[in-house]
Amino acid sequence: MLSRGEEAIAVGICTVLERTDPLLCSGRSIGVALARGVPAGGLLAELIGKDGGPNRGRAGRAHISMPSVGLFGAHGVVGGNLSVAAGIALAQQQRGTGAVTCCIFGDGACGAGSLHETLNVAALWRLPLLLICDNNGFAVSTPVGKGVAPVRLTDLAVPFGVPGESVDGTDVDAVVAAVATAVAAIREGQGPRFLEMRCVRLGSHSTLTKEERPAAEVEAFGEADPLQIYERRLRADGVLDDAGWAAMQADVNAEIADAEQFVAAALWPDAEAAVLDV
Amino acid sequence: MSRLFFREAIARAIAEEMARDERVILMGQDIGAHGGSYAETRGLFERFGAARVRDTPVAEAVTVGLAAGAAAGGLRPMAFITYVDFLMLGLDPLVNYAAKLRFKSAGQLTAPMVVKATAGAKGQGPTHAQSLDPWLMNVPGLTVLAPSTAGDAYGLLKTAMRAPGPVVYIDHKRLFPLGGMVPNAEELIPVGKAAVRREGRDITIVAHSYMSVVTLEAAKLLADAGIEAEVIDLRSLWPIDWDTLADSVRRTGHALFVEEGQEVCGVGAELAFGLQERVSGLRVARLGARRTPVSASPVLEAYAIPDAQRIVQSARQLLARAPAQQSQVLK
Repeated sequence: MLSRGEEAIAVGICTVLERTDPLLCSGRSIGVALARGVPAGGLLAELIGKDGGPNRGRAGRAHISMPSVGLFGAHGVVGGNLSVAAGIALAQQQRGTGAVTCCIFGDGACGAGSLHETLNVAALWRLPLLLICDNNGFAVSTPVGKGVAPVRLTDLAVPFGVPGESVDGTDVDAVVAAVATAVAAIREGQGPRFLEMRCVRLGSHSTLTKEERPAAEVEAFGEADPLQIYERRLRADGVLDDAGWAAMQADVNAEIADAEQFVAAALWPDAEAAVLDV
Repeated sequence: MSRLFFREAIARAIAEEMARDERVILMGQDIGAHGGSYAETRGLFERFGAARVRDTPVAEAVTVGLAAGAAAGGLRPMAFITYVDFLMLGLDPLVNYAAKLRFKSAGQLTAPMVVKATAGAKGQGPTHAQSLDPWLMNVPGLTVLAPSTAGDAYGLLKTAMRAPGPVVYIDHKRLFPLGGMVPNAEELIPVGKAAVRREGRDITIVAHSYMSVVTLEAAKLLADAGIEAEVIDLRSLWPIDWDTLADSVRRTGHALFVEEGQEVCGVGAELAFGLQERVSGLRVARLGARRTPVSASPVLEAYAIPDAQRIVQSARQLLARAPAQQSQVLK
């Protein structure tokens, strides 16, 4: 359940959102959590169930949340966060906070009733809600074309009068531009927006799931790696050189080393904590 | 005290809570200008407006999800489910999100919401008339309330609307037209407290919701036959008031559990087991619906669910089964 291939979507969204804009996501949460500002060490601790995680190890990947950085939470039920996000948007609307609630969900959720019920109410009540479909092409092993009848996922929003846009989700600049436009419109009170972010899942569904796509196809995925795409662009634009790249790598490696240290030192929860906060 | 219809007691509780806390909002089908499927929200739309009293589409999944999210986002929503049967469509946000939110977020997020649903057989057939209480009792993180009187409807609903986490408040179609005494001053009833509706020395009969009313009728019939039944109205299905139940059955030695829903893995099954763990030598029996769907035909519906006669019969059978008590019964 890594976010390889989907980094530009998470980073682009989190670049635009204010910290006070509640963000929800699917169970593919690792990239989103990092982009939102969950410390890498805390994230690792949460992933393996240690007390040092933001949810003290109870939530794991599928349910991680950290409201203090604006991460209202992942949800392990496909489509399960959509109506919840609409409710959070309703609370923001009712309280007059001006916040935009954003919910990221996978293409697998596009065949689920929760999306349609949520679009309907969000449109009727003009909720400040940004729905972002992270379309990585597959629901585990089922290609999007075999799980969702409409060819263009943005068509799903059309009958509800919700403006939709399909975006190249491997291009972080395109993601930022589309999210910024949508968020501005929603903040002005124009009601919900729907964005489809097209990307390629660079790995199998999860570390426990075998890769079913042909090797030649997987080989070609490299072309859609958002990290490489952006690196090339920054170099072409003269913003990044070898020294800059090396410095960034060093920063990342240092952060990972810190995170590894943090998680190694983090304690396991007391077993009795299993019955707290019920 | 004032005499109010059950539905009026609900409307009064909600109106008081909406007046004291602007975070309270209502969502559900036909609760706006229509005044509620059972007239239990009459006047609220006019008084509090369309932003706080929201008619929803016929879509229970999103309705409960909206409530759960709105609760996490700082409101105190109440979602109305016309028939508890339809709560099945909203179980995902209720069970998979709201009930687990405090735990899974390690206390950082909570879902202080009420789902108000109406159960019970009253001629509407297989999917508008079920009693699903034990399904909800089974979920860690849910509080489950089921009043049987207007006073309890008022006091428990107010408590539910201030509770720190999700509460499912289940009423019953046959209760709405009944009247009862409601205190004039604001009065909250704590969760987890059962009510002894009638005292008796021979047998304890435990019921909830409309079956409490039916059980009290049965207790009168039993009294005519010289059997004094103690009737306990659970009011709170989770948490369970084990103390009140145990005190009673220690005195009577016999416990009959009556419910309108299915016996299998039912409320009675849980209570009988829990009480036998606490009180030795207890003799127990249960009476619930026969193992069949609820029918739209009044004849078939009546056969499927308990009535006063079947409660009397079950009580007598239980007492007859107990050799130590037999001589008393025959006296």
